Amino acid sequence: MKKSKYIELVLITAALSSCHQSNNDWENANSHTYIRSDSSAPYSPVRHYGGGGGARMWYYAFRPYGNYNNGYYERAGYYSDAIHPNANIGSNFYKGSVVRGGFGSGGFSVSS
Amino acid sequence: MERIITNPRNNWQSAVEKLGFGFHTTNVPYWDESAYYSFTMPEVLKLEKATAELWDLCLGAVQHVMDNNLYHQFGIPEYIIPLIEKSWTEDHPAIYGRFDLAYKNGEIKLLEFNADTPTSLYEAGIVQWFWLQDFDKSKDQFNSIHEKLISYWRYLKNYLYNDTLHFTCLKETLEDLTNTEYMRDCAMQGGLETDLIFIDDIGWYEGREVFVDTQNKDIKNIFKLYPWEWMLQDEFGKHIVADKNKTLWVEPAWKMILSNKAILPILWQLYPKCPYILPAFYEANQMNSYVKKPILSREGANIEVVQNNLTIEKTEGEYGKEGYIYQELYSLPRYGGNYPIIGSWVIGQQPAGMGIRESTSLITNNTSRFVPHLID
Repeated sequence: MKKSKYIELVLITAALSSCHQSNNDWENANSHTYIRSDSSAPYSPVRHYGGGGGARMWYYAFRPYGNYNNGYYERAGYYSDAIHPNANIGSNFYKGSVVRGGFGSGGFSVSS
Repeated sequence: MERIITNPRNNWQSAVEKLGFGFHTTNVPYWDESAYYSFTMPEVLKLEKATAELWDLCLGAVQHVMDNNLYHQFGIPEYIIPLIEKSWTEDHPAIYGRFDLAYKNGEIKLLEFNADTPTSLYEAGIVQWFWLQDFDKSKDQFNSIHEKLISYWRYLKNYLYNDTLHFTCLKETLEDLTNTEYMRDCAMQGGLETDLIFIDDIGWYEGREVFVDTQNKDIKNIFKLYPWEWMLQDEFGKHIVADKNKTLWVEPAWKMILSNKAILPILWQLYPKCPYILPAFYEANQMNSYVKKPILSREGANIEVVQNNLTIEKTEGEYGKEGYIYQELYSLPRYGGNYPIIGSWVIGQQPAGMGIRESTSLITNNTSRFVPHLID
C-alpha cells in the first residue's frame, strides 16, 4: 500500500491554486463588460461572477482559432468560450461551420 | 474499523489549498480531519478482496445484460446500443470506478457502483495521503490511486488513437474541474499529450461530422467527467453515433450499464450467494424494509428509506422518471451519530484504495464529509 515517498503533481497545483486568490476591485459581481472576438460580430455583454482571477482566465480567455485543412493550419481569428456565439462568429465563414454548446445542459456538477 | 477523534492541523486550510484542493469547505465543511478512521491490515485486505470480486461480478453482469437484451430496464435509448456493444467487444479504454460499500461487523455490502463519473478521486488519492504525512508518517493507507492512475494511462496510450487526449467537464464547478485536472495530471505523467476543453465548448463540425476543440482540431480521444445519460439527453447526443472519427470516450459507452442502479437487481439475480450483494428488485415485492432508489440519480437525491413499511428518511430531487429499484435496507454502521460509506476504487481493473465519506443521515448526500483514514 505504501506510496512512493515523493508524489509529483505537474499540472494541478499551480493551475487550481490560482482559483483561490482574492478578488480585485474591478471584479465585483455587478460589473459588466462588452466583448467580441471577431470584428464582424456584434458586442455581447458578459457579467462577472465570483471565483477569483485565475479561474476567470479559463472562462474568458480569447484563444487563437483556426482550422486544419489537409494537414495545414488555417488561422481564422480568435474565439472565447465564455461569450455568446454571435459575438464570436459574425460573418466569419470558418467559425460558422462549427456549432458549439450542444453538450453541457445536464446539470451544475457531476458530484457522485 | 474505528473512528478516532483528533485535532485538525493548525493550518489545515492552507495545507490542503497548497495541494490545489479548493472545495474543502462550501456552506458546510466537506474535508473533515477532526476525525479519522483506523483500519487493521486484515480489514483492508478484506475490502481489497471484495472490491476485486465485485469488479469481476460486474463484468459478468454487463455481458448478461447484452446477451439478454435487457437495456429496457436501464432506460437506455435504442440508438446508442450498437455503440455500447461495440465499446464492450472492442474493449475501449476504461480507467476507473468507485464502489460504495457499507462495512459493519466484518460484513461488506455493495450499496452502488459509480462506474462512469465517480468523484472524490483527488481527495482519496492525494489530499488524505498528504494529511497522513503530516499526521503520522510511520502509518500506511489503503491508497495506491495516484500510482495506478499514472501507470494505467501509460498502458492505455497504446489503445488510444495516436492523437491528443482531451479532458472535459462542466464549467464553473471547481470540484469537477479539480477531479478532471487531477486525472489529466496523471495522464500527462503517463506520457500522454493532453488538452482541457469544457464540455459546452466542444464543437460539432457540420460539414465533416466530427467533434472539434476550441481550435477546431479533431477530438479523437476524450476523457469526460460528464455522465453518459446527460450526454444522450443533450442536443449533441445523437452526433456521438454519427461521428466520423469514432472518437474514443473514456469512460466508454458500456459503463452506462454499470453506472445505472438497474444493475443492482441483476447482480442479485445472478449472484444471490455472494456475501457482498444485497437483495434488490425492480418492485418492492414482499420487502417491508428497503431503500427505493431512482435508477439514475446523483448526490443522494430522490431516495426513500423504508423500515417496517414506514418511511424513515426521504430526499427530494428531480430524478426518477426513468424508474426505480428497491434494495433491501442494510443497517449502516454508526459511529457517534455518523454513518460512514467506503468508496473503494478500481483503477485499471484492480483495487486501488479508498476514501470515506460520512453523513449524519442514512442517505449520503452533497453535505457529506470526506474523512481520512489510516492503517494501524
